[in-house]
Amino acid sequence: MEEEVRKQAEYLYLQGLRLYAQSAASAGTEGLELVAETWQKAWEMYGKIGDKTKARELEKSMVDLYRKKYLELHLGKEQPAGVIGKFNDWFVFFKIGCFGFGGPMAVFALLEEQLVNEKKILTTKDFLEGAVLGDILPGPVTMDIVTYVGYKLKKWRGAAMSTVFFILPSFVLMLFLAAFYDKLSMSPKITEVFRCLGAAVTGLIVSVGFRLTRSEIKNHYEIYILLCAFVLSLTFKLDIVIIVILAGLAGVFLYSKDNKNDRMKEINE
Amino acid sequence: MSGTLLKLAWVFLKIGTVSFGGGLVIIPLVQNEVVLKYGWLTNKEFLDAVTLGQITPGPIIISATFIGYRVCGILGAVVATTSVILPSFVMICFATEAIKAFRENRILTSFLHGARIAVIGMIFEAAVSIGKDSLVDVKTVVIAALSVICLFKYKVNSIWVLLGAVIIGLVT
Repeated sequence: MEEEVRKQAEYLYLQGLRLYAQSAASAGTEGLELVAETWQKAWEMYGKIGDKTKARELEKSMVDLYRKKYLELHLGKEQPAGVIGKFNDWFVFFKIGCFGFGGPMAVFALLEEQLVNEKKILTTKDFLEGAVLGDILPGPVTMDIVTYVGYKLKKWRGAAMSTVFFILPSFVLMLFLAAFYDKLSMSPKITEVFRCLGAAVTGLIVSVGFRLTRSEIKNHYEIYILLCAFVLSLTFKLDIVIIVILAGLAGVFLYSKDNKNDRMKEINE
Repeated sequence: MSGTLLKLAWVFLKIGTVSFGGGLVIIPLVQNEVVLKYGWLTNKEFLDAVTLGQITPGPIIISATFIGYRVCGILGAVVATTSVILPSFVMICFATEAIKAFRENRILTSFLHGARIAVIGMIFEAAVSIGKDSLVDVKTVVIAALSVICLFKYKVNSIWVLLGAVIIGLVT
């Protein structure tokens, strides 16, 4: 029995070595991961039969392996960073900030066209992951995606750069509009236009409520949460933070045991 | 002045933290704080801020720039905009770093799911309290109803709806 396990472990170790030699020729870390997996199995087997010297030997090679894998990963990330390092590339976010009319999907399409298809810096899966994060976390999805992409490219500095560049065009335009607002609202014609726009925006708010209700509300518990939030904020003027926390706790109570409610997993499978 | 700036920063940090569910949910949160609680803007001014935020290319939260400017000038605009962006910025960076742990934390994802539902309730609340001021005659009610139908039923891009409203305002 013991001899059999030892043979198998030896075989796995050799197989790992062969894989290791193969992966050295090709780029990427997938091969190295496979090697680590086989050696891990061999190591476990040696552990089972109590061969400590062999196990320690394997441990050493595994540490080396992980070091190599880490380096490979690190170098892999450095390459696209070098491409994006130029100012001109961050300008992509400025351009998207200028033409991001039409909400998240428009920005999403622009970013994908620029970064995935044209510059080939990110993959589509990276993108979807960013969109899901943006959808779950607070803040507008468009900006969340931009921040996410920036972080993927160059960590905190990249996130700050992409976000600032993205927001800059609207920020400057809005400053001008705010400065001229008093003069603008003097003329009766402009006042009338703003009155009509205000009505349309009210409709927009209602339609957003409807749209979110259709996509988010799946059962009657959720209707109760929605109604409670509505009543609490309308009649009791409860602080928004308190309402959100209460609803979040209700969510924990309702879903933390539910396996179906997992949006992040759907994307990854 | 610095007291108001601090208050401005606090309010927008708070809003930036709880605005689950995308850009437009920011409307009820801002209205709640800026109009009802602090009285920095009237309902009409607030609606104009939102309208301008819709017209500019970026996300609707850029209305914070307008509000900050009205309250405290350019410095106020910078403070409000930075504050409203900062919470989601930090959260996204951390979540990207720990995306796997984040995805598998069931308690966290359930909490966020509940929070999103509450925000829908608050959107309807904002619609009610803004509607009280913006829907004052037959014309405005018709525009709002048309806007809901176009956006919700026919999924028209909001920029066209706003353009339509501008044209109605100009010709009548």
